[in-house]
Amino acid sequence: MSRVWVDRTALGGVLLLAWEIASRMLGPYWISSPLLVLERMWVMAGNGDLWFHGRFTLAEAFGGFVVGAVPGCVTAMLLRRHPLVRSAFLGIAAIGYAIPKTALVPLFILWLGVGPGAKVALVASAIFFIVFYSTWHGVEAVDNKLLLSARVLGASERQLLRLVVWPSVVPYVFGGLRVAIPYAIAGAIVGEIISSNRGIGYLAQYGAMDFDTTLVFVALVSVMCVVLSVGAVLSLIQRRLLRWQATPSQGKPAPIV
Amino acid sequence: MKLNMPTPAATTIGCPLLELRQLGISYGDAASGEQRWVLRDIDLVVREGEFVTVMGSSGAGKSTLLNVVAQTLQPSAGQILFRGTPVGGADMAPNPGSNRQIGYVTQDDNLLPWRTVWDNVMFPLTIAGRPSPAAVEKAHALLKQVGLDRWANHYPHQLSGGMRKRASLARTLVYSPPIVLMDEPFGALDAETRAQLQADLLNLWSTERKTILFVTHDINEAVALGDRIVVLSGTPGRVVLERQIDIARPRDPELIFKAPTFASHYDAIRGCLRGAGHA
Repeated sequence: MSRVWVDRTALGGVLLLAWEIASRMLGPYWISSPLLVLERMWVMAGNGDLWFHGRFTLAEAFGGFVVGAVPGCVTAMLLRRHPLVRSAFLGIAAIGYAIPKTALVPLFILWLGVGPGAKVALVASAIFFIVFYSTWHGVEAVDNKLLLSARVLGASERQLLRLVVWPSVVPYVFGGLRVAIPYAIAGAIVGEIISSNRGIGYLAQYGAMDFDTTLVFVALVSVMCVVLSVGAVLSLIQRRLLRWQATPSQGKPAPIV
Repeated sequence: MKLNMPTPAATTIGCPLLELRQLGISYGDAASGEQRWVLRDIDLVVREGEFVTVMGSSGAGKSTLLNVVAQTLQPSAGQILFRGTPVGGADMAPNPGSNRQIGYVTQDDNLLPWRTVWDNVMFPLTIAGRPSPAAVEKAHALLKQVGLDRWANHYPHQLSGGMRKRASLARTLVYSPPIVLMDEPFGALDAETRAQLQADLLNLWSTERKTILFVTHDINEAVALGDRIVVLSGTPGRVVLERQIDIARPRDPELIFKAPTFASHYDAIRGCLRGAGHA
């Protein structure tokens, strides 16, 4: 495990070094440099600019994440018991999934204005389908034998949903959420690039207009940090919640009778 | 239930607990004439406190029979009576677990993987409401009885097949169903573990005074455990033999072949299964 981390750090260091050298040789105008980016981040973190813009992006991404993920998950769970609604909805969902969400931005702006509402809608429209489909796969994969045996033990329909279906679906929901995180941030940023006067997407856009390559990279690095740390938190929660799963990495020999 | 002796001899007869009348199961559509019967004209009475083993060649519908009794499968003909009252049949919608009179130990242990052994055993109690202290006490005792008290906080994937089977058995017995259906519960286990579990089952049966309907394809097991053996055979499956096993209890499943009448039982059943196989 530690060996992997040594290798990763080494490779990362080499890449950063190459970037720095290239910047020294060609000049930082087009590609900036790691040291310049670090310095600018430090300054912007100090004067509050980074937080000012970051919080809008975070709020839009998080808001859209919740507005999209919760209905996506609930819809998939509800479809289990309603075969007619299910086949109808799955057909419509396939169309909804196929539409490129960024193409909807003009509509969202028309309906919700240029404020955060349009960004939340954009994020939600992307997240909904990701979480819906992953949850639905989980619902389909519930072990029928577990359901039948719980029925024989006297479980009601609601108890089946809460005590058998939901716990078996949770790993799938987490799978969907992990895929969705970058999409949520990306949605918020794309929304900001298209129209806004604040947010990390705005920073990147503004930097590019101003030929300030360093600012563009600052925006990129901050976004990367956000996605990685949210992903790490989610893995931590997932590992705690899914302790019951047999993972090969546990490497514990099974006890024998 | 309490009227019975803890270890009823073959001659002790309780009241009929479970009655199957002209039971039949078919797949396919009757109207198009493509109906295929799996079981037909099954008449069977299981008495209070009785240990009945069901045998049959593979495909004779043994598991199907248990699924119908557990109401996870709707019969196509006939009736199921419990203590004289119809609870299922061709003309009734199946409602498994409706009155919690039936415990069902399937071939797979069907433990919920996200629950510890203890939470699995408590599952039938918690879904019926808040368990009483007496019920919790009983769950503790059962877990100890099946030898899993030290494993209460482990997850199913951390246990061996034999231990999961024991947990599954404890989960079934914890809500005291009057009748327990068992579908080749020890089939996938090694010989030693199986012998141990058979002995444990006989112990539990004598202390808990359960009625058991036990499916197996192993003649030794059927003779060692049962008061009576029912042999299903043919296509569609019908009852071709019912035989009382007069071997005195307590029995030692591992040494059952030493019983004086064992050979005659064995031959009768084997002959029946073979005859059916060639038919």
